[in-house]
This record gives sequence, structure tokens and C-alpha cells, in this order.
Amino acid sequence: MSAIYTTDEYGRPFIIVREQDKKSRKSGIEATKSHIMAAKTVANIVRTSLGPRGLDKILISPDGDITISNDGATIMSQMAIENQIGKLLVELSKSQDDEIGDGTTGIVVLAGALLEQAEELLDRGIHPIRISDGFERACKIAVAHLDKVSDVIPWSKDDTSDLFKCAKTSLGSKIVNKCHDQFAQIAVDAILAVADLERKDVDFELIKVEGKVGGELADTALVHGVIIDKDFSHPQMPKEIKDAKIAILTCPFEPPKPKTKHKLEITTVKEFEELQKYERETFETMVRQVKECGANIVACQWGFDDEANSLLLQHKLPAIRWVGGPEIELLAIATNGRIVPRFEDLSKEKLGSAGTIREMSFGTTNDNMIVVEHCANSKAVTVFVRGGNKMIVDEAKRSLHDAMCVVRNLIVDNRVVYGGAAAEISCSIAVEKEADQVSSIEQYAMRSFARALDVIPMTLAENSGLPPIETLSYVKSQQIKQGVWSLGVDCMDTGINDMKEQFVFDPLISKRQQFLLATQLVKMILKIDDVIVHRNDEQ
Amino acid sequence: MAGRGQMPMMQPQVIVLKEGTDTSQGVPQLLSNISACLAICDTIRTTLGPRGMDKLIVDSQGRVTISNDGATIMKLLDVVQPAARTLVDIARAQDAEVGDGTTSVVLLAGELLKEVKDYVDEGVSSQTIIKGFRRAADLAINHIKEIAVDTDRSDKAKFRELLEKCAATSMNSKLIGSQKEFFTKMVVDAVMRLDQDELNEDMIGIKKIPGGAMQDSILVDGVAFKKSFSYAGFEQQPKSFDAPKIVCLNVELELKAEKDNAEVRVDKVSEYQAIVDAEWKIIFDKLDSIVATGANVVLSRLPIGDLATQYFADRNIFCAGRVSKDDLDRVCEATGCRVQSTTTGLTAKYLGVCERFEECQIGGQRFNVFKGCPEAKTCTIILRGGAEQFIDEVERSLHDSIMVVRRAVKNQTVVAGGGAIEMEVSRYLRETARQIEGKQQLIITAVAKALEVIPRQLCENAGFDTTDFITQLRARHAQDPERYRWHGVDIEEEAVTDLFAKFVWEPALVKTNAIASAIEAACLILSVDETVTSQKSQDPMAGGQPMPGRGRGMPMGGR
Repeated sequence: MSAIYTTDEYGRPFIIVREQDKKSRKSGIEATKSHIMAAKTVANIVRTSLGPRGLDKILISPDGDITISNDGATIMSQMAIENQIGKLLVELSKSQDDEIGDGTTGIVVLAGALLEQAEELLDRGIHPIRISDGFERACKIAVAHLDKVSDVIPWSKDDTSDLFKCAKTSLGSKIVNKCHDQFAQIAVDAILAVADLERKDVDFELIKVEGKVGGELADTALVHGVIIDKDFSHPQMPKEIKDAKIAILTCPFEPPKPKTKHKLEITTVKEFEELQKYERETFETMVRQVKECGANIVACQWGFDDEANSLLLQHKLPAIRWVGGPEIELLAIATNGRIVPRFEDLSKEKLGSAGTIREMSFGTTNDNMIVVEHCANSKAVTVFVRGGNKMIVDEAKRSLHDAMCVVRNLIVDNRVVYGGAAAEISCSIAVEKEADQVSSIEQYAMRSFARALDVIPMTLAENSGLPPIETLSYVKSQQIKQGVWSLGVDCMDTGINDMKEQFVFDPLISKRQQFLLATQLVKMILKIDDVIVHRNDEQ
Repeated sequence: MAGRGQMPMMQPQVIVLKEGTDTSQGVPQLLSNISACLAICDTIRTTLGPRGMDKLIVDSQGRVTISNDGATIMKLLDVVQPAARTLVDIARAQDAEVGDGTTSVVLLAGELLKEVKDYVDEGVSSQTIIKGFRRAADLAINHIKEIAVDTDRSDKAKFRELLEKCAATSMNSKLIGSQKEFFTKMVVDAVMRLDQDELNEDMIGIKKIPGGAMQDSILVDGVAFKKSFSYAGFEQQPKSFDAPKIVCLNVELELKAEKDNAEVRVDKVSEYQAIVDAEWKIIFDKLDSIVATGANVVLSRLPIGDLATQYFADRNIFCAGRVSKDDLDRVCEATGCRVQSTTTGLTAKYLGVCERFEECQIGGQRFNVFKGCPEAKTCTIILRGGAEQFIDEVERSLHDSIMVVRRAVKNQTVVAGGGAIEMEVSRYLRETARQIEGKQQLIITAVAKALEVIPRQLCENAGFDTTDFITQLRARHAQDPERYRWHGVDIEEEAVTDLFAKFVWEPALVKTNAIASAIEAACLILSVDETVTSQKSQDPMAGGQPMPGRGRGMPMGGR
């Protein structure tokens, strides 16, 4: 792999590009082929985690942290891929994750399959741009077909059974499927609690997912309120407060300090005593101010020293200190309180209210958490995840996030297609049919696109321990024969192929996005014919 | 050692240049410069045209760029050879001047040099060549101006069609080629929204959000920018307004020391509180004066602290701090407000208005969107795409198209692309050259031949039989210049067709500028016969070793 290396008429080499001996270059078909190789390798890694019977990956980070995951985007981002094309695939799954939140494995598998098909076409001597043109045309057909086979699922605030089923599909492949129904229900309830149904907008910042190691997955619960990972500042303070009026402060319990640089010179004992007196007085005023406005609990963003702490105890004012910024905000939203920047501004209207505030302790450990429930505003919710170990808790959080995204997508757009690769199979049939009517070389590329779509059901079948080719050909023939687009791969071995009966749904936008993004990425990779890499491994 | 001892006798050496200085001169230097330029051309050769390929470049920091844009690639190649650097510069100049045709200009310059390389070798004076080049440039540019088709600007629909055609042609070779209907509409809409006299392209904001397909990109008739970092209390602010009043500030709304180097000396404990109160008063005065104007949305280029955030939340006002300068400028342009650098004397007349403000979710991010602005001479394109590099490339492509459309608005003559105009100019030069006596004839013919590189490369990239196409084109243009004037390489049909009828249009300016700067660059390279490279000063930033002695210690070839 020579760099850009040229010699002049007299055979003397000369340098054109800075540090060109450190740059490696690959061009032409060789570059394209090596890209495809890299992409295929990456796709093969996540391949086995597709579907309800898909397996998990264990990932160990450089610091020794262990992650166990089934989520495509998580696996990809933790793999620390070096190869440029591999990195593109990572971004692909990440953008699917950002946009849709689900289907991150499927998209990578699809992109890998498309590139694999493209390789075959390149070997036949078809120009890479013609291939990508063909893919693009096929993708258009597939997306149009998806619209055709999609179904609208009705839902309302009272009837959420269909949303629940979609959440279940998404959770199907995850570790939490032990408590399948419970998690699906939590996802649906959490989203509906914060969703703005008129604007069809869901703000994820209002949903907080907290995890704590211990207990089991089944102990996971949805709290209509806020959980703060803190405890009361003094162990003798009451552990539960009913009808709480909460003062939310962002100033510390200490004499206010000017922000400008300042200096106080103490020269005599008297002055020192005065200072102490002043400090004590300020504490007392502060506590009085809080008491006077009617608050019976204080949440403070900053800390206070032991003296203030005991003073608060004396005045029977439970307090929580060092509450982080986001938590303060959530607390304020949940309790309809206002964040107060200094003690002078405290007033009755600015207090938040909550039905109960209690300290929750776990098992034999000293860990405590404060739960704020029955809040004035129900729009902030917290999901509290429990699990046997940290890996499970983390994975459960991720799975829950995926499921919540699915529900969110359905609230935004309630059209669905059928899972179990039913949609892919029917698109594959549609594309193949259209391909026959195309007169130019693109025909080949379109057929290859259809074949790439078949990889999804095949992988699904393979991961579920079914004979892939047999299953695919059976489902395909049934789809054509019966004209029912909802037939898919029966991963759970229930004997029913109709995904409509099995209630396996995917949001339409998720599938659509998968097709479009994968095709665009493949196009991009195929279009590259020259790679110039600056290596700095020497230093 | 490095002083040049030209004297054959053993005289004391005269040291003229500093030690380590590298010089080389004469024809060999010229030839080696030309070879360097050709090497650069070879790199970007394959990016030309609708079947052109992209380059993936990884720089020393590991940043990845995938691009088809000539100027971008040239920039990232990090060329050090001085002559070859000229090519980088003309690509950049073309980018700045017309925004499109950066690959063609480099190719053309390279090809010109290649054609005259033999003449240089044979000993034709470079001044003669340069003179010939200049003459050819004049002839070519005049001819383009003559035959360029003037379009009617009065007919709105037709004019728009023209702009769309030009935008589409510039997108052909890019990643977004297959979505060009979608993007041409967007680009033309965006440009039409600008102030037609100024056409300041900075007023078109381009925001990139990973995720979504590129068809999900949208054009907002107003301003949109990403939600900035917010402090606690932000979520309690209202997130949408109808007909809000907007105030733009360049003021820090934070409780902080007013002067960094000031120090307050406190004598008594009781004074403590007074200072604290004074500080609070400063910030509250600022906030009060903002609220007093009746503004609903407060934007600031500097941070808005948690205190101010909560204060505004209490009064149902939306605020955003750390808004970048160009976003703020666009907000001002759109809503008619003025950026205030102080809050004293702030009155309602400095406020801007728009129809609707909203914070909404786009992809994984929350965006502040101002819609329906009264003085909307600005707009924002929100780009979506599967990967960051992907969106970056889409942005570059859109930028090119925007520039082309902008040019077309100002300059309404168009020519046909796809190598048609180059073939026509080539024919014209060839015919004219025959009437010129002397060496100039050869040079002008060489320019004519060099122009053919564009259609040739188009064919090559598309995998067509190059010789076949070029001879066919040449024959047609020679047979009947009038009838076959706009015949060029039609990639879709794989044939030689009339591209003007196929709507492959480009502003004439792109072409005249490309030819002019290519020839300028070629002249510049030809006029250099000596390079003096000073030894690099001990610059830790440079990192690399000084250039290995090219020509040093060797007997000078030229005489």
C-alpha cells in the first residue's frame, strides 16, 4: 500500500502530501471490497442477538466494567471499533437508537446483508453506483409496500392493550422477558403518564429510570413521583412525612457570601465572637423563615454543616441535602413547587406539595432512598428497577428504554407492521416482483435487495433454532398463496405463523427507518473508492 | 555548503543562502512541478460526475470525512508540494467564488499542464505558453458568454424552473443525487426566501441531527437551533407561545462577581449582608428590566444562570443561554429584534416578534423553533441522516447547490453541463487556432484538447468506452456546431444527446470562472522556474522533518 508517491523525470522522489510516508491509501475496487469485508464482520457479531431467542453479548471495557447486553446499539458502541466502515455502522445503529430507540440490531444486520449482496454484484462487474441506484429503487418499493401492509392499531388512554402488546414485542428479545408483562405495563404506564396527547409529544426528561442492585426483577415498580438517591440529613429525623409541603432551595444553609472576592480581618476576640453570633443568628433566621412559610420538609441543592443540621432537627424540620440539579428540577415539576434561590424569597405559594415523602431502605445494607409520591403534578414519573446484579439492572434499564421508545413511537404514529420478519418477507416478495419489470442493470441490484431482506427472517429462524431456509421458503410460499402479509417466522414455536394472532407488532416508522437508513449507508459505502488514512501508530 | 558555487574555479565560496536552504531551478524544476500537479489530479479524478466516487479521508486526529467535493478533498489532502498547493488554492477560490465546479477546475488545470508538458520539455519558452494560454482563455470565455442562453427572469415559474435545474445539476454527482427532486426544491425555496438583493448565504442555517432518513430533512421558514444547556428550573418554563415577543441579549444573567479583580474588604460582620444584598440587587435589576418589557422569550449569547432560569420560570418566560452568534443573528434577522448588550434602557421597541415559538423534539434532540417570522429573510434547513459523516457530506452538497442557485439568481445565463459546453469551446478554439500563426496555434490547440478532459473523465467514471464517446462528440460538434451545440455525455442514457433539452443546466459563470482560474493556475505554475525552500525553523508544531533535499548536491540540470 504505497502512499501517494511520485518521482520526477530524473527518478528523484518528491513529496506532495505532508508526512505522506505515514499515510496509507487504498483505492478502487480493492477499497470497496475491504469495506464490505469490515462491515460484514461487524454485522456478524450482532447477528446472533436478533429476535426473541437471540443471545446476549458480554462486553468488558478497558476499565474492566462488564456490560451484558442484547441491545444492538449498546453492543456496537461498546465494541470500540477501529475500522472506519465499522464506525459508520456504529453510527447507523446509534442514529436508529436516537430516532426510534428500537430495532438497532435489525438495521445493522440488514446493512451487512445488503453489502454482502453488493459484493456479489461487484464481482460480476457491475458499477458500484449502479448497484446503489438499484438498491435505492428497491428501497422505495419496499417502503411503499410497508405503507400498504401496515395496520392501524387503535388505542386510547383507557384501552392500552395494543400498546402493551407492542411493548411486549420489543421486550421479547431482552433479558427481562421473565417479567415480560410487568415491564411492558410499566413502559406503557410511564409513557402515558407524561405524554402530551394533543401535541403527540413525549418528553423523556420527565421519566427517570433509577436502578438499584438487590431484590429481583419482579420488584421493579413505577412510582408516580420522584425517587431521590439520598437520605435525610439526620438519622433521627422522621422517616415518613404525610401531606408534605416542601421547600426547594438552591442556596446553602450558611451565611450568604458575596460572589466578589472579599476579606474579613479579625483582630480581636470580640470580633470573633461577633462573627460566631452572626453565623448562629443567620442559621436561626433561615430555619425560622422556612418554618414560617409553612414548609415541613426542605430539599436543598447544597449542603449544610452539622450545626445547622442539629438546628433543623431541633426545629423538627426534616431536610435532604446535596440533591443534584436534575433531581431538584424533577422534584419541582412533580410537586408543582418553585425553586427558591434565597431564603428571603420563600413564600407559601412557592412550596411544593406531595402526598407522602418516605425513606426507603433496602435489605441489610445502609442504602436509603427517598420516595416522593402522590405529587400535585403526576407528569413526572420514575421507574425503579431492581435486579440481582448490576449487569442485569443496567440491561433492564436499556430494555425498558427500548420498550418506552416503541410506545412513544406509537403515540406519535399508530401504524404498525407485523413482526417476526413478516414485513421483511412481504417486502422481499414485492421488490422481487417489481424487479422483473425493470429493463436496465438495476434489476440485478433490486433482486439482491430482496435477497438481503430475506436474511432477516433467516437469521431470526437460525437464532430460534429453526431450519432457516426451510422456514423462510415455507413462510414465503404461504404469504404468496394465502395473500396474507402478516405471516412470519414463528420464533416461540407456538405453531402459529400469523403474527396478527401472536400479537407481534413493530411500529411502521421503525421498520421504515431501518430500510431507509440501511440503504443510504450502503450507498455511501459503495460510493467510496479511495481511502487515505493517516496512521499515527508510530508515536 | 549550501551557497551555490556556480564558479568552476577554486575560488572562496560565497555563501548566499542560509545553510540547509533547498533550491532547484530550470526546466527540470518545471517538469517536476507539473508531475506533482498531475499526481494531485489523479487523486480527485474519479470524483467527477454523477457516477463519480467518494473519498474517505482520515486525518491525524482520527476524524473521518467522506466527500465528493473537490475543494474539501483537496483541503484534507494536506498538500505541501508548493506547486501542487496552487491547485488546492484554485479549488478553494472556485469554492468561494461560485461554490461549485471545484473538481473540474483542478482537473482542467492539471490537464492543461499535461498537454504543454512536452512543449516545455522541447524547450518552448514558458512565456510563449503563458501567452497562448491567456489568449485561449479570452477566446473561450468570450465564446461562452456569446453562446450562453439567456433566461427570462420575468416569468416567475420559468425562473424557478431554471434555478431548480441548476441546483439539480450540481447535486448529480453527490450522495444526494437520487433524492435530487426533494433537495432541489428545498434549496431553491431556501434561496428564494433570502433578501434577493443581498443573498447572504449565512442567513440559511443548516442544522444537522443524526438519525432519520435524509428524506426526513425539513426546511423551517424561520430559525431553529438546538436547545442549549439549561439549568434547573428550565423544565418549568412554558415551551410554546403564540406570537411571542423576543428579546436577544449579549448579557450574562448570572449571580457572580461583577469585577473579577475587585476585592471587598469587610470590616464588620454586619456589612456582610449589605454586600450580598447589593449583589443580588444587580442581577434582579437586570431581570426586572427584561420582564418589564413584556418579553416572552429571552435569548442570550452568554450564559443564563440557574437563578435567572428560575426567575423566568416563575414569570412564564422562556429563556435560553449560550446561543451561538450566528443563530442569534438569524433570530434577529427573522424577528426584527436587536441584540442588546445591556439591560439598562431596554424598551419594548427592541423586541422582535414571530407567529409561533415552540420547543420540540427532532430526533434525539430538543429544538427551539421560531416560525412565521414577519421579516423572514432567513430560513433553516434541518438535515437528517444515518451517520454523522453522511450528514456532513449532505451539508457540503447542499452548500454547493445553494451557492449555484445564488449565482444563478444574480446571473441568469446558463449553459449545458455534462461536458457539452467544454466540447463546444474546444471545437471553437480548434477552429480559431488554425487562423493563428506561430507557436500560439499549438498552445491554443493544446487548450482545446485539455478541455476534452471533462467529458472524457465523465465517461471513464461511468465505465463507458471513452474513445468512442469522445470521437463521436468531436465529430458531431464539428459537423454542425449550431445543431449539436449542446451535445454531451448523457450518463443515464449512455449516449451522446442534447443535454440542454435534458435540463442539465449550469450557470455560465461556473464555467467561465472555472476556465479562467484553471488557466491562471497553469500560468502560475509555468512561470515558476526555481523553488527556494528555507530550512524549517525549529518549530515544534511542524513535527515533520524538513523536506528531504530535492536537487541538493546534484549538478544543476538546466543551463
